[in-house]
Amino acid sequence: MSATPFDEMHNADGSIREPYLILEDWLKGQPPQALSYMSADAESLFRRLGITFAVYGSNEGTEKLIPFDIIPRIISALEWRKLSRGIEQRVRALNAFLYDIYHRQEILKAGRVPEKLILNNSAFCPQMMGLDPARGIYSHIIGTDIVRTGPDDFYVLEDNLRTPSGVSYMLENREAMLQLAPELFQRYKVAPVETYPETLRRTMESVAPGGIHGSPNLVVLTPGIHNSAYFEHSFLADQMGAMLCEGQDLFVENGKVYMRTTTGPERVDVIYRRIDDDFLDPLTFRPDSMLGVPGLFDAYRAGNVTLVNAPGTGIADDKAVYVYVPEIIEFYLGEKALLKNVPTYNCTNDDERAYVLEHLGELVVKEVHGSGGYGMLVGPASTKAQREEFKRRILARPDNYIVQPTLALSTCPTFVEKGIAPRHVDLRPYVLVGDDVRITPGGLTRVALKRGSLVVNSSQGGGTKDTWVLED
Amino acid sequence: MQIAIRHKLSLALGQGIARSVQHVLLTPLTGPTQTVREWSIDMPGIGKAASFIDAFGNRAHLVSQTRPEGELTISVAGIVDTIDRNGVVGRVPGDIPPALYRRPTALTKAAGSITSKFRSTPKTGQDRIALLHGLMARVAEVVGGGEQSQSQDGQSQSQAQAAKPPAADYAHAFIGAARALDIPARYVTGYLYAEGDEPAALHAWAEAWDGGLGWIGFDPLLLLCPTDRHVRVAVGLDAVTTMPVRSIPVVGEPQVLSMSVEAAQ
Amino acid sequence: MLGRTAQNLFWLSRYIERAENMARMFEVGYRMSLTSRREGSASEHLHSMMQAAEVDEGFHLKHKQADVGSVADYMIFDEENPSSVKSCLLAARTNARSVRTALTTEMWESINAAWLEFAAIRPRDVNGARLQELLFWIKQVSHRYRGALLSTFLRDEGYAFSQIGNFVERADNTARILDMKYYVLLPRATMVGGDVDIAQWTMILRAASAHRSYRHVYHDRYKAWNIADYLILRPEMPRSLIFCVDWINRTVDMLEDIYGTRTKGHDAVDAVAELLEGTSVDRIFESGLHDFLTEFIDRNNRITDALAESYNFY
Repeated sequence: MSATPFDEMHNADGSIREPYLILEDWLKGQPPQALSYMSADAESLFRRLGITFAVYGSNEGTEKLIPFDIIPRIISALEWRKLSRGIEQRVRALNAFLYDIYHRQEILKAGRVPEKLILNNSAFCPQMMGLDPARGIYSHIIGTDIVRTGPDDFYVLEDNLRTPSGVSYMLENREAMLQLAPELFQRYKVAPVETYPETLRRTMESVAPGGIHGSPNLVVLTPGIHNSAYFEHSFLADQMGAMLCEGQDLFVENGKVYMRTTTGPERVDVIYRRIDDDFLDPLTFRPDSMLGVPGLFDAYRAGNVTLVNAPGTGIADDKAVYVYVPEIIEFYLGEKALLKNVPTYNCTNDDERAYVLEHLGELVVKEVHGSGGYGMLVGPASTKAQREEFKRRILARPDNYIVQPTLALSTCPTFVEKGIAPRHVDLRPYVLVGDDVRITPGGLTRVALKRGSLVVNSSQGGGTKDTWVLED
Repeated sequence: MQIAIRHKLSLALGQGIARSVQHVLLTPLTGPTQTVREWSIDMPGIGKAASFIDAFGNRAHLVSQTRPEGELTISVAGIVDTIDRNGVVGRVPGDIPPALYRRPTALTKAAGSITSKFRSTPKTGQDRIALLHGLMARVAEVVGGGEQSQSQDGQSQSQAQAAKPPAADYAHAFIGAARALDIPARYVTGYLYAEGDEPAALHAWAEAWDGGLGWIGFDPLLLLCPTDRHVRVAVGLDAVTTMPVRSIPVVGEPQVLSMSVEAAQ
Repeated sequence: MLGRTAQNLFWLSRYIERAENMARMFEVGYRMSLTSRREGSASEHLHSMMQAAEVDEGFHLKHKQADVGSVADYMIFDEENPSSVKSCLLAARTNARSVRTALTTEMWESINAAWLEFAAIRPRDVNGARLQELLFWIKQVSHRYRGALLSTFLRDEGYAFSQIGNFVERADNTARILDMKYYVLLPRATMVGGDVDIAQWTMILRAASAHRSYRHVYHDRYKAWNIADYLILRPEMPRSLIFCVDWINRTVDMLEDIYGTRTKGHDAVDAVAELLEGTSVDRIFESGLHDFLTEFIDRNNRITDALAESYNFY
């Protein structure tokens, strides 16, 4: 852990890093108050664009907008090439891994990943054994969480192969920036992200089951309006021209999936499902699920519909499996991992646990099945009582936690109350896997708005930024 | 031996429902211990059902009905030739890796009263077969109540003695213990050609993995390895993954209306 | 289009229309209670208005005394009253959220903004002039939504289901207003109405927002025969039964054009239209106004069920 985090805009000597030169010039040219006005404009813009919808999710309208920072984060073409090659390598290897563990399990037989870690894992889905998904792809829609600690140091924090969210913010943030600072787009060559919905559509079409006449029928399956990501579900359905369905809108008859339309049943071919595995089909998974479609999994198994993503992909982004990803890449691709994993301590190992308990104040502790920044301890920002609490929890269930060093997340200039100041950021690029692997140049940059904070989750005071990948 | 099977069951779906779907696992496959000569399932919707091989290698049907009657009747009939191989099923091409059958499930929790005796028993080579037989005997003893066993649902002692626990309890206990000892074990449903005055019933037993012989059947309820009286229908992790009929919606358990498992004419 | 989407659009429009109707009905009762001179008559006016709005039974389960405060609370803010303005706006917004992708931005924003604004109002701050202002605002909400619908919505099946929902609700409302007061409209020996009659007639016309336009059409004082004619058979009156049925008829024809088939929904609409075709006020009075209205309400209700069956609402 270095004393000063890497600043993406400034070199150590205070000079401006190349990708940010034009931005610096533009910022200097802004009259006082201009940024405040832009910030206010951004907020009303988001309401108009529809984000209000997600935000006022509750009936009382009490939720707040996820704060949007008007200063874009800029990544050079060279940096992006490096990053995207690494991400592509990872998603190819993880899909190969999923195919293998749901078929012959060569990697387990070879002893490269512990058998029990996979087969006894609750994220492993035995019902998926032997199933051949279209093109052998399990995870079609991926959001890889990346953090940066230096000019050339990118780490993968999490792979998110189940149903990653946030892509609507990537698209809306760009829309906002195009309206707020069009002149910057004239001076920079920014790679487009607007193609995402169309690419998603192509990806889904490319994995449709065989034997379909005409273009396949695509739907987005949502748990409904009470889900916190409902806005995104309806946004994506709208953007790619797919029907937005709830479980009750679909039914299975004679092994095929149909939706109930005003003119009768209509066949469904590919389902982008935003319902968790457990709730997908009460006939196969949780029988008490009211959200799912009875018989859906069997229809999938019979090859009559494609689920995007496949059930059981969670085993590949399990926090306990994470440490084996470099091994997984080597096993299937015969290559060294291009992107680094964050070193991770295994608490079931006596020596490592002893080290962890001694150094909790410097480490980050995460629950194996936790998400959203909950169930997490950030050592340097923790109180003594919190550390004692986690010590107890780790001792009680060492297998339930992974522990990592606190990374000095890079910072980006961010517009805060007192003007422009550096704040810590992470990055979630979005990957689509179908007939090809396509990574949208950009992604969602999350920023910890509190000074010094390393927690970027929106549920804990994080905001977002537009992310610009420059073209050569 | 040639066995003729007729099996009729009914399933209450409830009145006035728009649609129902069933996952049906009632089709035996030809394998090392049996050859299926004839087999048919008759139920509403079976003609257009999707038929596929499930995760555990079973032939499954996804059957559906629009505006079904409140009660669904399923009739199964067929003839199967069986061979007595001392319970050895062996290896079947396309079987999923045995290691998967070490996965614990809610129904296959190991009972300490069964496993404790075998903790330090050798379990490789010939020793494994001996261990599994020992395990079967111990399961029969503990589950069968030969030894004072805890009745889980608080039944009175007399009731517990009057009715022998169902075959599923024996199979689950055996599987849980085997897995706790790191031996892959799976659940089997099937038909049993009954002897004497035993009523015909859907039966369940277990199979355990041996690196040399492959899968070997153990029937802890009858305290023997399956013979040519056993017709294998489906395998899986436990009774849930091998349930003969799962349905949505469903009201209550499927009821057996009639069943006969007899030597074929 | 998903059957559920069609259903959501249909009910979305109905709830918006209902919110407006509730506000108008309350306004009538409120005005009459302000202008009444006799002791105790304020409460009577409010009560008879609630009868017309069909909320009287629910009201009396919760309140002993009908005064402006308690009635406003029940009809505007009470979430337990499924027809309160609040319940209607919430139901409209919930339906709108479910079909967000089927709505235009303008339609969505008018509903979303209305709900957020309404949810921020504290009932105890609303009295006197602010109550009048709120009633005006509620009607504006409905007009904004309809304006957005008429000027931005694609003329497809979604538009059709929205329109049918709107006019089925409006026809129901007008028929109920008439039915609740049908006896004051019946012909009598004396053709000149007394004070009581005039007060009742005014109430009917106001409840249908028809008290000013009546003069434009009839250039006459209030007369029972004219009022019945106006609210039942005048095609230029936008809340009359014939106007509503005409809209519904044209809109189901549009569905026939889109889908290429007639359904039970069309038969149900024909059955309502039949009641009005070629009839006159005299003939309606002859065969009984109350029976006529009962039959109308019943047939109008059947449109919803027939549409649900024909177009897979669920």
